Amino acid sequence: MWLFLLRRCGLAVLIVMLAVSALYLMIHAIPGDPASIILGPRATDEMKAALYIKMGLDQPVYVQLASFFANILQGDLGYDVFSQRDVTDIVLEQLPWTLALIFASVFWAALVGIPLGCYSALHANTWFDTLTGIVSVGTIAIPSFVVAIYSLLVFSVTLQWLPAIGAGEQGDLLSQLEHLILPAFAVGLGWVGYISRLVRASMLEVMGSNHIRTAKAFGLPSRWITFRYALRLAILPTVTLLGVGIGYLLSASLFAEIVFARPGIGKLIFDAVSTRNYPVVMGSVLVTTGLFVIATTLADFINALLDPRIRAGR
Amino acid sequence: MAINTIQKGLRLSRRTLLMAGTVMGLNMMVPFSMAASDEVLQSRSYVDITSLDPANYLNAVDEDVMGAIYSKLIYFKPGNKWEWELQAAESIEQVDATHIKFKLKEGIQFSNGFGEMTAQDVKFSFERAAFGENPAAAADWGGALEEVEVTGKYTGVIVLKKPYQPLWNLALSYAAGNIISQKAYESVGEFTNSPPASSGPYIVKEWRPKQKVILERNPDYYGEPSAYKEIHINQIDDEKTAEIAFESGNLDVTRISMSSVQSYRETPPDNSQLQVFPSLFYVWLGINFENPKLQDPRVRQAIQYAVDVPSILQASYFGEAEASTGIIAPGLLGHRAQSLIAPEADIAKAKALLAEAGVSNLELSLDVLNKATNVTTAQIIQALLSQIGIKVNINQHEAGSFWTLGSEKAGERWKDIELILNRYSMVPDPYYATVNFITSQKGKWNWERFSNEEFDQLNEQAQAELDLEKRGAMYQRMQDLMEQSGSYRFITHEAEPLAIRDNVSAGLRPDGRPLYRHFKPAN
Repeated sequence: MWLFLLRRCGLAVLIVMLAVSALYLMIHAIPGDPASIILGPRATDEMKAALYIKMGLDQPVYVQLASFFANILQGDLGYDVFSQRDVTDIVLEQLPWTLALIFASVFWAALVGIPLGCYSALHANTWFDTLTGIVSVGTIAIPSFVVAIYSLLVFSVTLQWLPAIGAGEQGDLLSQLEHLILPAFAVGLGWVGYISRLVRASMLEVMGSNHIRTAKAFGLPSRWITFRYALRLAILPTVTLLGVGIGYLLSASLFAEIVFARPGIGKLIFDAVSTRNYPVVMGSVLVTTGLFVIATTLADFINALLDPRIRAGR
Repeated sequence: MAINTIQKGLRLSRRTLLMAGTVMGLNMMVPFSMAASDEVLQSRSYVDITSLDPANYLNAVDEDVMGAIYSKLIYFKPGNKWEWELQAAESIEQVDATHIKFKLKEGIQFSNGFGEMTAQDVKFSFERAAFGENPAAAADWGGALEEVEVTGKYTGVIVLKKPYQPLWNLALSYAAGNIISQKAYESVGEFTNSPPASSGPYIVKEWRPKQKVILERNPDYYGEPSAYKEIHINQIDDEKTAEIAFESGNLDVTRISMSSVQSYRETPPDNSQLQVFPSLFYVWLGINFENPKLQDPRVRQAIQYAVDVPSILQASYFGEAEASTGIIAPGLLGHRAQSLIAPEADIAKAKALLAEAGVSNLELSLDVLNKATNVTTAQIIQALLSQIGIKVNINQHEAGSFWTLGSEKAGERWKDIELILNRYSMVPDPYYATVNFITSQKGKWNWERFSNEEFDQLNEQAQAELDLEKRGAMYQRMQDLMEQSGSYRFITHEAEPLAIRDNVSAGLRPDGRPLYRHFKPAN
């Protein structure tokens, strides 16, 4: 198990380094001059040159990249010359809002999707199964931004039950929860469908397997068989999906941050790319890539815990 | 079993848990509204602040906030005319072309115990902005400041190296003219968004990056206390989101999209009104002066005549914006009453000009920022130019790429520019606009690569001209020269539509920008 974990962690570090390096080269390849964008039309050449030096852009790209990684080892993500603040502070300010949104979305989607999928599998080909199938595909098909806009129009504009914008008052948990409901609903709705369909399919497959038939033949209670043996295996693809899904949601949260005017890492990266604010782009992408890799590694780890065959590398 | 354990651990019975859930649910059913209070004003900005240090400001929102927390010698009055009046100054007088005497009001206090504002603070603030590294602040002073002479506790003289009339509208009454406390600044060293001391009716209570700036009443303000206890400036990029927030009662004032103007006019949201202000932005179709395909002036003129501005205003601006006559908006010094070429297209003349030039089967690229309004405008231009036989290919660019298209420092793309749809921001002095089109700006912000000796000379002379009438005439002539070159088809200054709650009396500049210190509850 420890070897498995060590191997996965080593791979994770390599993936992060490769992804960040690739992005670094890509962002320098696209047209756009940060000094012109930042300083505006009235900047002199001397002012632009001074900014280049401040941002370290006067160095060759490979030197910039090497110094970026060297700084990371010291826990320094760089310095934003616009706001004159550390990138680490900027990223850490925005990250909790995005994580709260992602975890709330995934949490409620799993909370509804897993039981729905289980129940559909156990009552396959009934009217309930057909209905959940239609609803699930429907929720997958509706784009999240449409859900976001309609939920805003219904719950904020017409009923005025929930706030339309922002992330809530600092230190006021209730206010933050109120501000989280609609974005999490919009982001998570499609995932309810995904998860319930996946759990249903896996459950049907597992319920037909030999060891479940044997358990039934021994006369074990059906609830015991379902939750103790079948769901434990059927949940594996869902755990993997959630691991990958969290990474996907890191970027997908951008639309929710724009529509609901929420702070977050997605919008931070979007704005930073538009202004070619390289230090903020790199710092934010490093953190999100790291989170993505951690989430997928964690999913692998949980799968290994649940399924001894994975631990054994079979 | 697990739930029971948790309940025991938290000493929470199932009944209590259910009751708590019900109360939370009911709480959320109560209509939610943050706005429309006499104590708190909820406003919106399209970007986050970058710096509240007047010597380091970067965008207009920085000045919206700084205007509420600092004081300037003079400031733009709210209303529909561009006029300034005294703020921190008791008097100010231009003694000659290079000397401006001022006297501060006595008793203007900086917050946090940093004492009274003195002429030394004025000197410190102005020289720091004018001689600093920030291009916005330094350019507002135009390289013209020699020094600020302190002649007494409250009196001083602004000494210029050369006559520089834009000083009144660009430096003294705008962002770089905000006065900070030298003592407070020296106590903290650098600062960005946490000013150590304020002298305006509000102070910064809190800045939540990418969320909002909260201003609160300044208890040490020397004048009448601010009308609101707090002002929340919420950062919302997307105008449609802002509209939803306004309609749901979360905002008291916001800019809305042009596409929503008609519906807001016909059926405004409850307890609100729509006000449309003339904006200062200027939008034009640029035609590259140096591009081989466009070097014949008759070809450039044909394009000018073929573009029907009213069609663009109808389709891209929903009929809510006016045609512009140049780069200087109505109400500003140097505005032209009419352009040399009428806004309406003259297709016959355009075709004749092309035929005269012996050009046929012309194919041109049109570079455009990938915003809906710009793309629509580009498509209309494409259709209009096809009527005279010019095929236009539209190249859409994202902001980072677009804003460096014409820069020689950013690669070779400037050589490929043929047609470009552009839009620049503006402050209320004509110099701010014309300076972008002088010869030395070629390859920087003069993307049409327009070059005219008379234009360059007039730009220099107009800066120094004290007679406003003469100065205005110079700027009008400069716009004539731009239009005669065939490199510009002026389109519009756009419009600034604002939705404002009925219980808010908004203090706004003539272009609709907020002057937060002048906002108050309407009774």
